[in-house]
Amino acid sequence: MIAGVDVGAAPALLGAHGLGRTYDGFIALDAFSLELGEGELVALVGPNGAGKTTFLTLAAGLLEPSSGSIAIAGVPAGSIPARRALSYLPDTPVFYEDLSLGEHLGYVAALHGVEDPGARAGELIERLGLGAWEDSLPSEFSHGMRQKASIAIALVRPFAVLLADEPFDGLDPPSRDVLFELLAEARAAGAAVVVSTHRPDVIAAASRCVGIRDGRLAYDGPPEPRALAEFFEP
Amino acid sequence: MSSEQGQTAALKQLRAARRRRFVERLDLMEILYRVYLAAIFGGIALVVIAGWVEEAPASAGAVADMSAHGPAVLGLALALAALVGLRSGARGGPLAIEAAEVQYVLLAPIDRGAALRPAAWRQLRVSVLTGAVLGAVIGNFVFRRLPGSPVEWIACLALFGALLPLCTLGAALLASGGRLRPATATAIGAGLIAWSLADLLLGAVTAPATMAGELGTLPLQDGGGHLALAAVGLAIALALTWLGLRGVGRIALEAARRRAALTAELRFSASVQDLRTVVLLRRQLASERPRRRPWIRLGAAASSRHPVWRRGWQSFLRWPLGRLARVLALAVGAGAATAAAWSGVTLLFVLPGALLMVAALDLVEPLAQEADHPTRRELLPVAVDALFRRHLAPSAVAMATVLLIGVAAALALGAPAATAAVGAVMLAPTALVLACCAGLSATNDPYRYVLTPQLGYAQSAAPVVIAIVAAGGPLLAARESARHGASAVGAAFSIEVAMLLIGIAMAWWLGRRMADESAVAT
Repeated sequence: MIAGVDVGAAPALLGAHGLGRTYDGFIALDAFSLELGEGELVALVGPNGAGKTTFLTLAAGLLEPSSGSIAIAGVPAGSIPARRALSYLPDTPVFYEDLSLGEHLGYVAALHGVEDPGARAGELIERLGLGAWEDSLPSEFSHGMRQKASIAIALVRPFAVLLADEPFDGLDPPSRDVLFELLAEARAAGAAVVVSTHRPDVIAAASRCVGIRDGRLAYDGPPEPRALAEFFEP
Repeated sequence: MSSEQGQTAALKQLRAARRRRFVERLDLMEILYRVYLAAIFGGIALVVIAGWVEEAPASAGAVADMSAHGPAVLGLALALAALVGLRSGARGGPLAIEAAEVQYVLLAPIDRGAALRPAAWRQLRVSVLTGAVLGAVIGNFVFRRLPGSPVEWIACLALFGALLPLCTLGAALLASGGRLRPATATAIGAGLIAWSLADLLLGAVTAPATMAGELGTLPLQDGGGHLALAAVGLAIALALTWLGLRGVGRIALEAARRRAALTAELRFSASVQDLRTVVLLRRQLASERPRRRPWIRLGAAASSRHPVWRRGWQSFLRWPLGRLARVLALAVGAGAATAAAWSGVTLLFVLPGALLMVAALDLVEPLAQEADHPTRRELLPVAVDALFRRHLAPSAVAMATVLLIGVAAALALGAPAATAAVGAVMLAPTALVLACCAGLSATNDPYRYVLTPQLGYAQSAAPVVIAIVAAGGPLLAARESARHGASAVGAAFSIEVAMLLIGIAMAWWLGRRMADESAVAT
């Protein structure tokens, strides 16, 4: 059990082997291999269009690989056990326009078998400063509010792997601190966390850094600023 | 309660709550007003249609023809419906799933089939019921001209009307769940059409679509064999739809997400009658992109005298195969409708204009793109009104080519030789009017009459009505003249003179309107 999710005796929480994805002939990801274990916080870096979001959506099961394979807790990405183990926080928040934040949290938790999400939902709402917005509809949220609501929805359910696509974008400094704390707590509970980012402070907080360039794995190691500098050069 | 039961219950509860909330927010008076308007206009339309439909019994020859070829023709329509469905399914259709539904429900550890089947059922129910009602209405007109009791015709055509959307949606569900590639789906659909076409040409009943087509002509057929064939065709369609429903959970999420985003925009654009955006989004939905290599590469320009004309043809020469096939099918459909209308079904004179208007919306693409980019247009050293009028030229010439194809199709499908002469007289004025109608539709500002929606509806409907009159009016006049022993060409010519003047006025108005809009913007 990791963070409340039964992952069996999986060799890795996330395992990509020779993963490739093309769009109409354009190679977005090519022969990409990566393994993640318990409690890792991985910063996924690379220039725009390098293939970061493609990798995350492949792992979430939203895309299908053109070649290679990707498994979550030992089962193919997108399968029911993989969906149980993985939480995906997209770069653009997505909501039902006719559900309040509180209803979103209750619904998503119930879909993941959480019988009483009240305590966890309440805690997330409070820590992310969303208390006054619990009964509001998404159309009433600002950009930052939408991001925070999306984070709360991603974290309200149990997960062994969290994939977050630029989750710090649009957050004010206090909210960024809260998100750092939440990610650290997930990691401490044994979950593997992958954060796609361009932010140096996120990279510095990571236990491992994975760089992608032109769809290929270009760096895999500690978050060394000098080694990573090339990913942020124009 | 097990975890899975709890998850399914959560899904059902929330959907029920959302439906309740949706119903609570509905404005009852607004709905009643819409029903009232629909009843009035629907009633008027029915009365007008009933007036147009001849009630004289069809000749024995026509009945024999219908009895012999009707099933194959209707089968061809079913095969075409299946092709449309297969292509839609290969691109993620027929369901339009909310983006949030993909993110939260389809990524949750629950059976996707169970999550999606209710939406698929709902779509099937609504489409099948609509098809059945339309079929029954047609049956109500048909029994007056053809042998057979009213009950038989209404029942058979209601069933056939239900079968058409069933074929489209069933095929789409199968293609979507079976993860067919677009090329494979198109090939299967084309195969079904070819099979039905072979039945039509050979007078055989071998294709499942032809068997199902028997349903639409059962009152004309003798013997239980036809009933059995119809039952087999119907059973095949139902079985395939059932299989499609079973596999609905295998939908590709990538296509579902893409479709979710596009259909949300499409619905909004349709709700504000933004036809240009609807056309663009529909193309995106069908992954319809210009060819990287043109079919024919134009040589280097000999001079810079006609850049707009050249730009228009460069656009047409990059049309993807799907768009070419669609415009060709619309031209053939217009020709077929003309042939059928000339033979006596007056109501069908409405169709050529409507079909050709859809084709014209593709043909005014260069003009529409000019309207889409006002900043670029403003930088050109050309007066805006002249620029738009020049854009009409290649579109009108291309439209004339489409009209020629339509005339050829009408002649091939049994229209009298006089149709060729009438078509020749109609060619230039009708092509110009249709290009202008499409140009006006594509450049309408959907928000101009946002506070007076009735004017907005009129603005959207006017080009379509003019197109229908421009194509159907001269044909109707020509047929009536021919029936009364007068010159069909003469009757068409007298109307076409007026059409030419209308076309010139519309071209002038289009240029003037765009120039005025530019002046306001700058």
